[in-house]
Amino acid sequence: MTPMKWFLSFLKKYRGLMIFGIILTFIITSLNIINPYISGLIVDKVIRGGEYDLLLPFVGLMVIVVAVKGGLRFVYQLVFETASQGTLYDMRDKVYRKLLQEDFAFYNKKRTGDLMSRQTGDMDAIRHFVAYVIYFTLENILMFIIALVMIFTVNVKLALCMLIVLPFTALCTYLQSKEVKPAFKRNRDCFSSLNAFVQENISGNRVVRAFSKEDYEIDKFNKENDAFRRAGIDASHVWMKYVPIFEVLAYSLNIILMLYGGYMVINEEISLGDLVMVNGYLWMLNNPLRMAGWLVNDIGNFVTSVEKIYATYSEEPNIKTPKKGISRKLKGDISFQNVSYRADDEDIVMDINFDVKAGQTVGIIGTTGSGKSTIMNLLCRFYDTTSGQVLIDGTDVKNLDLYNLRSNIGMAMQDVFLFSDTIEGNIAYGRPDCSFEDVKKAAIMADANHFIMAMPDGYDTVVGERGVGLSGGQKQRISLARALLKNPSILILDDTTSAVDMETENYIQKQLKNIGRTCTTFIIAYRISSIKDADLILVMDKGRIIEKGTHAELLKKGGYYATTFHNQYGEIPEDVLREDRSVSQKPTETNGKQSGKGGN
Amino acid sequence: MARNKFDVDEVLEDSFDVNQLKRLGNYIIPYKKQMAFVVFMMLSSSALTMLVPIFFQKIMDICIPARNMEQIMVYCGFTLAIAFYSAFALRMKIKHMSLVGQNIIHDLRSDIFVHLQELPFSYFDDKPHGKIQVRVVNYVNSLSDLLSNGIINTITDLCNLIFIVIFMFIEDVRLTLICITGLPILAVLIVFIKKRQRRAWQIQSNKQSNLNAYIAESINGIRVTQSFVRENENIGIFNDLSKNYRKSWMRAVKFNFIMWPCVDLISTITTAIIFVLGVRWILAPTPTMTIGVLIAFTAYISRFWQPINTLAGFYNSLLTAISYLERIFETINEPVEVKDAEDATQMPPIKGKVEFQDVSFSYDDGIEILHKINFTANAGDTYAIVGPTGAGKSTIVNLISRFYNVDCGRILIDGHDISKVTLRSLRKQMGIMMQDSFIFSGTIMDNIRYGNHDASDEEVIRAAKTVCAHDFIMELENGYETQVNERGSRLSQGQRQLISFARALLANPAILILDEATSSIDTETELLLQKGLNELLKGRTSFIIAHRLSTIKNADCIMYVDRGDILEKGSHEELLQEKGEYYHLYMSQYDFLKETENK
Repeated sequence: MTPMKWFLSFLKKYRGLMIFGIILTFIITSLNIINPYISGLIVDKVIRGGEYDLLLPFVGLMVIVVAVKGGLRFVYQLVFETASQGTLYDMRDKVYRKLLQEDFAFYNKKRTGDLMSRQTGDMDAIRHFVAYVIYFTLENILMFIIALVMIFTVNVKLALCMLIVLPFTALCTYLQSKEVKPAFKRNRDCFSSLNAFVQENISGNRVVRAFSKEDYEIDKFNKENDAFRRAGIDASHVWMKYVPIFEVLAYSLNIILMLYGGYMVINEEISLGDLVMVNGYLWMLNNPLRMAGWLVNDIGNFVTSVEKIYATYSEEPNIKTPKKGISRKLKGDISFQNVSYRADDEDIVMDINFDVKAGQTVGIIGTTGSGKSTIMNLLCRFYDTTSGQVLIDGTDVKNLDLYNLRSNIGMAMQDVFLFSDTIEGNIAYGRPDCSFEDVKKAAIMADANHFIMAMPDGYDTVVGERGVGLSGGQKQRISLARALLKNPSILILDDTTSAVDMETENYIQKQLKNIGRTCTTFIIAYRISSIKDADLILVMDKGRIIEKGTHAELLKKGGYYATTFHNQYGEIPEDVLREDRSVSQKPTETNGKQSGKGGN
Repeated sequence: MARNKFDVDEVLEDSFDVNQLKRLGNYIIPYKKQMAFVVFMMLSSSALTMLVPIFFQKIMDICIPARNMEQIMVYCGFTLAIAFYSAFALRMKIKHMSLVGQNIIHDLRSDIFVHLQELPFSYFDDKPHGKIQVRVVNYVNSLSDLLSNGIINTITDLCNLIFIVIFMFIEDVRLTLICITGLPILAVLIVFIKKRQRRAWQIQSNKQSNLNAYIAESINGIRVTQSFVRENENIGIFNDLSKNYRKSWMRAVKFNFIMWPCVDLISTITTAIIFVLGVRWILAPTPTMTIGVLIAFTAYISRFWQPINTLAGFYNSLLTAISYLERIFETINEPVEVKDAEDATQMPPIKGKVEFQDVSFSYDDGIEILHKINFTANAGDTYAIVGPTGAGKSTIVNLISRFYNVDCGRILIDGHDISKVTLRSLRKQMGIMMQDSFIFSGTIMDNIRYGNHDASDEEVIRAAKTVCAHDFIMELENGYETQVNERGSRLSQGQRQLISFARALLANPAILILDEATSSIDTETELLLQKGLNELLKGRTSFIIAHRLSTIKNADCIMYVDRGDILEKGSHEELLQEKGEYYHLYMSQYDFLKETENK
């Protein structure tokens, strides 16, 4: 499919409306000719000819024509605007749906600002085209044709002579459209780049301030801003070249008429009256010619934007839901069989083998960047394995319906992303229609209830994008509550408690144990305390599992796990064993007292 | 101001007034010469254009009856000259006005961006980022044509209008007055719809902003959306926003569409009246009008209404633009809370002594986070801050860099009150690593070098080696030249932390602040990291916030913060002896061991 065909597929829906609009365009264009004609009649017949009875009817007709024309014009502008907004709406919807389907690999490469430009600036060029350029072009072509036909009826030779401008017009239109396209493309690219830069500056504003890099950012911004200005000016150089040519072409019609028309009258080939008549039609030839340059511009801009949007749209995600995907509630038996994953010529994980029974807990620990999160991403099919199989309940995840698969998995990610919504809205993200009681229950399990209640608006407190305004630990707990609320068969906690204190972690772990139903749980963590009760602990390094077993087994083994344990806890203080400190102590004691606002 | 969500319209706090129009004028004034030149070109060319019909008249009246082809050719030659002059004038207009238009939006955008760099965190925290962005990029763009060509056309049309009115008065006063009566009627109409039209465009710009915010969030939060299978729900929300956008657009645009039929109708009615009255005056027993005057007058009428038509168009776009402009100026007017004092001095090279004297602090909501905190950190020492989540640990370190102003009390560095020195000279000497490790799109090299742009490649690599990031960077396909992006998604969280760590180190700060800097780094790497760091931390004061107590055990001083106060202070051993909150916290990490034994 070409970008244009793609665009037309949207317009098709509004075919009826567009045809109606075009018919109105015809009517109005013809009405445009009537009033000057009536004015002429008034001058000729009434004022000069003395037929005063005709004055009131003529004048009345004039007002009626204008009233009708005004009404029709209002209607057809609305018609085109409706078609344009409709097209835009459908297109935004399609593009948005596609964005939601794109896989991580796509998002790893694209800048947010670039993707946004497709949905904003580029869409606007399309709006302008459908709402305005289409009818305006038609109106002009129509006007040109009507005038030409009129002149042909007066005198064929004179009309043919005026046609001389057409090849020049065609040539200029062609050349300009060829030249203007790369200029617009550069313009759109610069726009996109500027947009992306500003977007990052806003998102990264904390880092900018922290490093006092305002001047550096302003310098960089100036470069983007200058480039965008440059591109705008360069594009204007194209029409600066062609628009004046069209102006001269328009004037050349006047000259042809004076010269050849005058010559013909002198040689009595046409009458003086004919000459006046043709002169009356001349503006209908002139105006379209003058507009041609601008219209070529608008069309060029439109074509560029459609191409840009389509280029993004047409990128197919590699990970798709299978055609006849299996859809059912999963139990949670998981098996990784010789799983490897490669990306960008880099082995991310290799030879991953392990089996988990439904309801078991798996702890994953290992060096930074060793592929722990990747394993989980393979389980959720955010990436597809390069070789080997990931099985859930004995079925390859690639054969499961993608959405069903993910519905069964609750995931609290390492990089907590919260939406600019209320806390309740954020926790209920996976189940927007669940009751407040459920939300609260999940929050209590994640030990988030206390600090939420301490906030000015409680669960209705709006948090900023990315959860700004909350401390790291608070964000993690909301993200945990969000995952728990999903009631998943498989729960993935990716470094979810790294920013909470030990007491809170203990509390959360206890809650997870009392979850009350089978739920296979994966816990990725750096603290031994987070995973030591797991039924299976995987120790990872450089993309491989280097140790596997339970806490006790691994301690005995004296490998990486044991070393980490000693590094973290050193010599266990004698107090621990001596003193009888209550295990079930409520960590919320301290949390309850703290003030609501996070420490960012 | 309450925090804004994507689906809530922003309240406009400054409505548009004359001062803002003046302010807009400041952007245009630098280009008044170009503007004047273009206006001159356009007026002269439109004056010349008026000659063409006269030539035609002459050809008909004189040359043709005289069969004088040569004379016709002379007129044609003149017309050709006029054609070239018009073309040239047009060229000049395009050339200068594109330049002026681009320059004005360049300047405006630059001002809003520079101002953004000075705004406090809270400005960015309070509204979806997409809503800030739309102001800097999209709104500003939409002004380009209006502020260049729009102004030129308006001036040219006004001049044309004045010329025509003068001609009309010379021709006949009564008819001119009739013609002009159309204007107040139009004015009344405009005033009548203005309020609603303005409101409609304001609503529209809000809807656009909401849609933009949601798109931005959807892209940034795509992982969450996909993992929670929220696609359908989000499509619903998106389409609602999109629908609102469409609805508000259609509503607003209707007001614009009303304008032309009205102008047309009023102009036709006045023309009709002129015909009727003109004819009556001609027919009167004592005629007060000649046929010639009436005919000439009808020709002027269309010339009179044509510029008014384009002016109406300008007015329409102006109203649209104002709803964008007021948002832009609102941002530019946003007060800068944390800024240099008027007599601010440069912070001399920091040795590193930090003192908090009776420091209290609360965020906008008025809830006190810190209450009269006092402590002194000696130069070169390492201070750890522990305490429950949300106790105000990050707030303390944020105050040291003066990201917020204290409510009362003072913070001194080497005896200098930090509110009395310039922000840049203060922050330049600090290295801060925050909870969120933000990665810019670009290469890894660029990202580390963000800490110090003068650093050589070798220095960048050295910093990476110190924080144990070198090995994994070298394993990436292009090493330090590997492209990463803002979401940093090809790097693990721990790797991103290491990169921002290297970035902070490269800044060679006198005071180093690590706020949960190593929470996602494995213990082994952390130990290696600490070895390298020990060397580096010598001579630097550092503040470390961490939940993994192994990270902070060796600090010179540990402060336990809760309930807005420092409850305990001392070395690890001392605090354990004290058997207070820290002791309790420390012991709690062994709870899990006890539990195992209980089993």
